[in-house]
Amino acid sequence: MLSCFKDKVGDVLLPGDVFSFQMPESITDSKPEKVVCGPGLRRNGDEVLVCKSGILRHKQPNLYWIDSQQRRYVPGKGESVIGIIAAKSGDIFKVDVGGSEQASLSYLAFEGATKRNRPNVQVGDLVYSQFIIANKDMEPELVCIDSCGRANGMGVFGAGGLLFKVSLGLVRRLLAPQSEIAKDLEKMFPFEIVVGMNGRVWVKSKTIQQTLIVANLLESCENMTAQQRQTLFRRVADGSI
Amino acid sequence: MSPMKLCVPGDRLCSTEDCMPGTGVYLRHGYIYSSLAGYVLRKNEGEELPVISVVRETEAQLLPDVGAIVTCKVTSINPRFAKVHILYVGSTPLKDRFRGTIRKEDVRATEKDRVETYKSFRPGDIVLAKVISLGDVQSNYLLTTAENELGVVVAHSEAGAQMVPISWCEMQCPRTHAKEFRKVARVQPEYLQA
Repeated sequence: MLSCFKDKVGDVLLPGDVFSFQMPESITDSKPEKVVCGPGLRRNGDEVLVCKSGILRHKQPNLYWIDSQQRRYVPGKGESVIGIIAAKSGDIFKVDVGGSEQASLSYLAFEGATKRNRPNVQVGDLVYSQFIIANKDMEPELVCIDSCGRANGMGVFGAGGLLFKVSLGLVRRLLAPQSEIAKDLEKMFPFEIVVGMNGRVWVKSKTIQQTLIVANLLESCENMTAQQRQTLFRRVADGSI
Repeated sequence: MSPMKLCVPGDRLCSTEDCMPGTGVYLRHGYIYSSLAGYVLRKNEGEELPVISVVRETEAQLLPDVGAIVTCKVTSINPRFAKVHILYVGSTPLKDRFRGTIRKEDVRATEKDRVETYKSFRPGDIVLAKVISLGDVQSNYLLTTAENELGVVVAHSEAGAQMVPISWCEMQCPRTHAKEFRKVARVQPEYLQA
């Protein structure tokens, strides 16, 4: 029942685990206890099925989801990603986002772009953009403007700096509102960072050595606990200039 | 019974005074010529002249005509149009599958420019549509669903169960209770089986 489901918060669950809720009365809007299924959980009549392996997490008041770890990115609508321009064909750019197929980006989807005023985008450039169409039936589509027509930080970037790949779980931890990793990193030295939800991170700092240090630190704090991470950061901060 | 006569396209069959033209033939300079390769069928109507037609097999093939209601299955979707395979014309099943296209602006009658194909059809849906054009040599049949009685009749949810329509634009899965957007057809009650 709901109590044994709540006990499992923080445990590792595998696909195929079933939790059945037999409600005494029929399901109406005024149910006393409501469970909202997030990613990794699916409702099947009176049961909740686990679809992905991972840790069951809970957020007040009634949201449950599976925190799973993977490196392969699946495009989702509204997510901001770092893409690499792979080809230019007519009016659209083909962008590699790390998914199963390349996404398309129209040349009009940049701020201030018109048919006469084409944006200055070359093959090989990095773009920070957002998905407007991302589902399993159609080719994904990206845009570099928001619904008002403003760039809002999106567009071509990356003169200098280093692009590297991390797992999706680390990216989610970095982008969380109170991210401890980000706070620890800020104490080291100033640097610029762009984080894409497809696991790609771009870093730029004053010197190449500092850029490489930040990149290595991010890649290594994947499987560390908070304490190990803070020890490592302190050692590096003491050792470097 | 005498064996039926074979003919090829371009064969002159008879003159317009002897017979009336049927399917698979055309008129030129007062004579009836065959336009298909097949068997010549001569049917006696009674008082009027007999009707001459050419058929490929013994039963006549029903072709979708402009204005016919067809049942089709969606094969792929695109932000601009949806590609379908036409399975039935009216209530007759077809032996071959013809290809059709439903353009974005032909999905519904109101707010044509704000249609999203992903919220109207998905691959695997069974759709009732009407033929608006036969198309030329390379393009497919052009279909429309811009009426209340046309649209998606059978659709499966992401969980795999057959969905139940709840409004003209939404269907619900009975297992996961998740709602999905489709352009739903309002099927007349007498056609619904209990």
